[in-house]
Amino acid sequence: MITFLSLLLTGLSTGAIYALVALGIVLLFKAAEVVNFAHGSLLLLGAYVTARTWEAVGFPTAVALGVLVGALAAVIVERLLANPMRDAAPVALAIMTIGVDIVIATELNRRMGPDIVVVGHPWGGTAARLGDVAVPANRLIALLVAGALIVAFLVAFKLTDWGVAMRAAAEDRETAALLGVRLSRVTTLSWILAGALAVVAGIFLAGSPTPGLSPAVGVIALRALPAAILGGLDSTTGALVGGLVVGVAESLAAGYQDQLSFLGRGFGDVVPYVVMIAVLLVRPAGLFGTREVGRV
Amino acid sequence: MLIVRDVDVSYQGAVAALRGVSLSVPAGGIVALVGNNGAGKSSLLRAVSRNLRRHRGEITGGAVTFDGEPLRDPGDCVRRGLIQVPEGRRIFGRLTVEENLRLAAHGAGKKLVPDRVYDLFPVLAERRRQPGLLLSGGEQQMLALGRALVAGPRLLMLDEPSLGLAPQVVARIVTVLREINADGVALLLVEQNAALALSLAQHAYVLELGRVSLEGPAEKLRDDPDVRRLYLGATAVAT
Amino acid sequence: MYRRILLGLGVVLLLVLPYYVGQFWLRLGFSVAAAGIGAIGLTILTGTAGQLSLAHAFFLGVGAVTYCALAGTDADLVSLGWPPLVAALAGVLLAGLAGLAFSPVAARLRHIYLGIASIGLVVIGQHVLNTAAPLTGGFNGRLTPGIVSDAKVSIGGVPFGAYEKQWYVGFAFLALAALLARNLVRGRVGRAFVLLRDSEPAASSVGIAVQRYKALAFVVSSMYAGLAGVLYAVAIGSVAPSSFALDVSVLYLVMVVIGGLGSVAGAVAGAAAVTALPVLLQEYAGYLPFLAEPGSGGVTASHAARFVFGVAVIAVVLTRSGALHRFRPSALGSRS
Repeated sequence: MITFLSLLLTGLSTGAIYALVALGIVLLFKAAEVVNFAHGSLLLLGAYVTARTWEAVGFPTAVALGVLVGALAAVIVERLLANPMRDAAPVALAIMTIGVDIVIATELNRRMGPDIVVVGHPWGGTAARLGDVAVPANRLIALLVAGALIVAFLVAFKLTDWGVAMRAAAEDRETAALLGVRLSRVTTLSWILAGALAVVAGIFLAGSPTPGLSPAVGVIALRALPAAILGGLDSTTGALVGGLVVGVAESLAAGYQDQLSFLGRGFGDVVPYVVMIAVLLVRPAGLFGTREVGRV
Repeated sequence: MLIVRDVDVSYQGAVAALRGVSLSVPAGGIVALVGNNGAGKSSLLRAVSRNLRRHRGEITGGAVTFDGEPLRDPGDCVRRGLIQVPEGRRIFGRLTVEENLRLAAHGAGKKLVPDRVYDLFPVLAERRRQPGLLLSGGEQQMLALGRALVAGPRLLMLDEPSLGLAPQVVARIVTVLREINADGVALLLVEQNAALALSLAQHAYVLELGRVSLEGPAEKLRDDPDVRRLYLGATAVAT
Repeated sequence: MYRRILLGLGVVLLLVLPYYVGQFWLRLGFSVAAAGIGAIGLTILTGTAGQLSLAHAFFLGVGAVTYCALAGTDADLVSLGWPPLVAALAGVLLAGLAGLAFSPVAARLRHIYLGIASIGLVVIGQHVLNTAAPLTGGFNGRLTPGIVSDAKVSIGGVPFGAYEKQWYVGFAFLALAALLARNLVRGRVGRAFVLLRDSEPAASSVGIAVQRYKALAFVVSSMYAGLAGVLYAVAIGSVAPSSFALDVSVLYLVMVVIGGLGSVAGAVAGAAAVTALPVLLQEYAGYLPFLAEPGSGGVTASHAARFVFGVAVIAVVLTRSGALHRFRPSALGSRS
C-alpha cells in the first residue's frame, strides 16, 4: 500500500509536469492550429540556459533566464516561421516545426555532448516524507508549482480578456477578427506562454530522480504529446487529464515492473503511448476533444 | 461617411465578383443593399471590412474610404466604429452570452458596459451566463446585435439580419434597428428580404451579378416595376 | 522522348558504374537505394494519400529483423538459414502485415492525430525489439546476413565481390519499387488516394471506401519500408533496436519533404541527399575547414548535415506552403 501511494504521488507529480507541457501544446493548437513538434526542444533549450547559468547568477535568476529564453525562442519561431505560413495546412505547419526541432536539438546535442548537465536546484536530491511515503523533494515541489501554474492558467483562460479572445479565436477565427480581436497578438501570447510553461516543466524534469539535463530529457518531454492527444488536442481539460493519466500510468508500470516482467523491462517508458493508442481506438478525437477539430 | 468607389473584387485572381461598384452611406442614414444570392453582397461587405484575404480574394480596383480615410484591416474598422453583424449571426457557441459581449467590447478597445444591450433585450440578461449554443435563432440575432452595440458603432453593417427568423422576432429586430438609428448610428442593411430593407431605408442599391443595376430613394425603388417583379414578388407589398 | 533517352543513359551509367568506381561509392549507392525504396513508400502515404506518418522506422525494423532471423546463421539467436532473397520477401510481407495490424488505428485517425499516434508505434516497437532479444539480439543487436554470396566472380576481366553484386541487387530493387509506385500513383488506386487526401467526405461521396483505402495506403507504405529495412540492415552490416528509433522516421520525412511530397523521383533524390550528405561531409572533412572532429565539441559532419536537413525542411515548407494547401480538407472550406 505504501509502495502504491508513493508510486501514485510520483505519478501525479510527473503527470503535473507533463500537463504543463501538454497545456502549451494544446494552447498552440487552439491558437494557431500548430502541433508543435519542437516543443521538446524549446523545453530543453530553456532548461539548458538555466543549467549553464545558475552557478554564475544563482538559481532563481537562472530560472528566470531559462524561462525568458524559452519564451523568446517560441516567439521567434512564431514571428519568423509560423506566422508567415499561418494560412497553410496544419500538417505543413507541423512539418515546419519538425524542421525547427532538428535544428535546435542538433545544436543542443552538440553543446551537451554525452555529458549530463546539472541544474542546481537548491533542494537537490533530498527526499520529502509524507507519513510513510517518501518522494524526491523535487517532485513534490514540481507538483505544487505545476498545480499553482495550472490553476493560474485556467483562471486566466476563464476570466481575462486574453482568455476570452483565445477561446473565441479557437472557435471561429474569422468572426473573432471581424469583432476586432487582434489574432496575431493572441497567437504570440500563446507561444510565449507555451514556451515558458515548457521550460518550467523542463527544469523540474531535469531534477531528482533524474540525474540532470541531457538530450534524454527531451525524449521524456515528448511524452506530453500522447498526453495532449489522448486528452484531445483542442481541450485544456484534456491536457490536464491526459498529463495525469500518462504520469500515473507510467509510474505504476515502472513501480510494478517485476510483476509486469512479461511485458519486458522498461515498460513504463512505453505506457504513455500504449494508453494513447488505446484511447484513440475508442475515441479518435481524444477524451475531451471535439469532433470537428478531430477532423482537421 | 462610408464611400465605396468603383470597386472591383476578384477571387483567386480569376473570378470577378464585383465590377465597378459604387455606393455611399451618409452619417446617420439608412441604406439598403438588395440582391439575390450570389449577386456579390457578401463580397462587398468583405471588401469594406478588409476581410477578403481570408477568402482568397482581393480588391483589384477602386477604393473604399470611411470618414475620408482608407480602412486598413477588420480591427481598424471596428475601432473606428464601422461594425459588422455577420450573416448567420456567428455567435461563439462555447462562450457565454456575456463573454460574447465582452469579446466584442474588447475587440473595439472598450470596457464592457452591457446595460444598454440588456435593456433592449431582457432575455439576454436572463441568459447572460449560458453558452451561446443554447440560444434560439432569434436570441442569437439579438446577441449578434448586442455585440455590435457594445463596440460603440457609428455605422452598422447588417448582413441578412432577418434570415430564418420568425416574423415577431423580425419585428422586434426592426424596432431596435430604428431605435439605434435614432441615436445617430448609420445603417447599411444587406438583405434578400427586399420588402423589409426598402421599408427601413432612405436610399437603396440593387446588386445584380456583381454590378449596381439600380439605385435611388427607397420609396422610388419600391414603386419600380422591375423591383416589384423581381424582389418584392407579385403580392408582397412593403409595409 | 527526350526524357526516355535521358533515363536510358542513366540506367546504363548505373549498370556500368561498378566497373569504374570503388567500394566507397558502391556501398553509398546501395544505402541510397535502400533509403530510396523507403522514401518512395512514405511519399505514397504522406504525399499522395495525405497521411502524415512517423512510423516508418518501425516498419523498417520489422523488415530488417525478419530478414536477419530468417536468413541468419547465428547459433545464439533465432536463425533459420533461409535463402536471403526469400527471407527478404518475407521481411516485406511481415512489414505489410504489421502495417495491416496498425491500420485500424491508421484508418480512423487523420493527419496530425495519425502523425502523433504513429510516434507511439515507433516507441512501442523499440520496446518490443529490445525485449525480443532472441530474435533481435536485444540491446547489442545482431549481424546482418549478406544478401549476396561473398564468392568472387570475374566478369569482363573485373573481379566482382559482394559489394559489386550487392549494388546490382539494390539497384534492381529500387527500379522495381519505383516502377510499381509510379503505376500505382498514376492508376485508379492513386487517384483514390489523392481524392481522399483532398477531402474525405468528397471521396466517400463518389463511392471510395475511405477506411479501406487509407488502410491500403498504410500497408503499401509499410511494405516499402520493410524492403528498405532489409536493405538498410544489409548496408550497415548489423542492426540493433536503436537503428530504428524515431530519428530514422524523421529523416525519412525529411527525404520526402525536400523531394517534394508525392513525387516518386523526388523521394529518391531526397533519399540520396539525406543519405549521402553526412557520409560525404565526413569523407571530405579534411577539405572542409569549418568541420570539427567528433567529440571535440565543434560542428562535426553529422551536425552539419542535420543543420542542413532542418533548414532545408523549413525552407521547403515555407516556400511551398501554397502547394501544401492540398492537405486542407476542402470540405471544411477555406480557413476561417
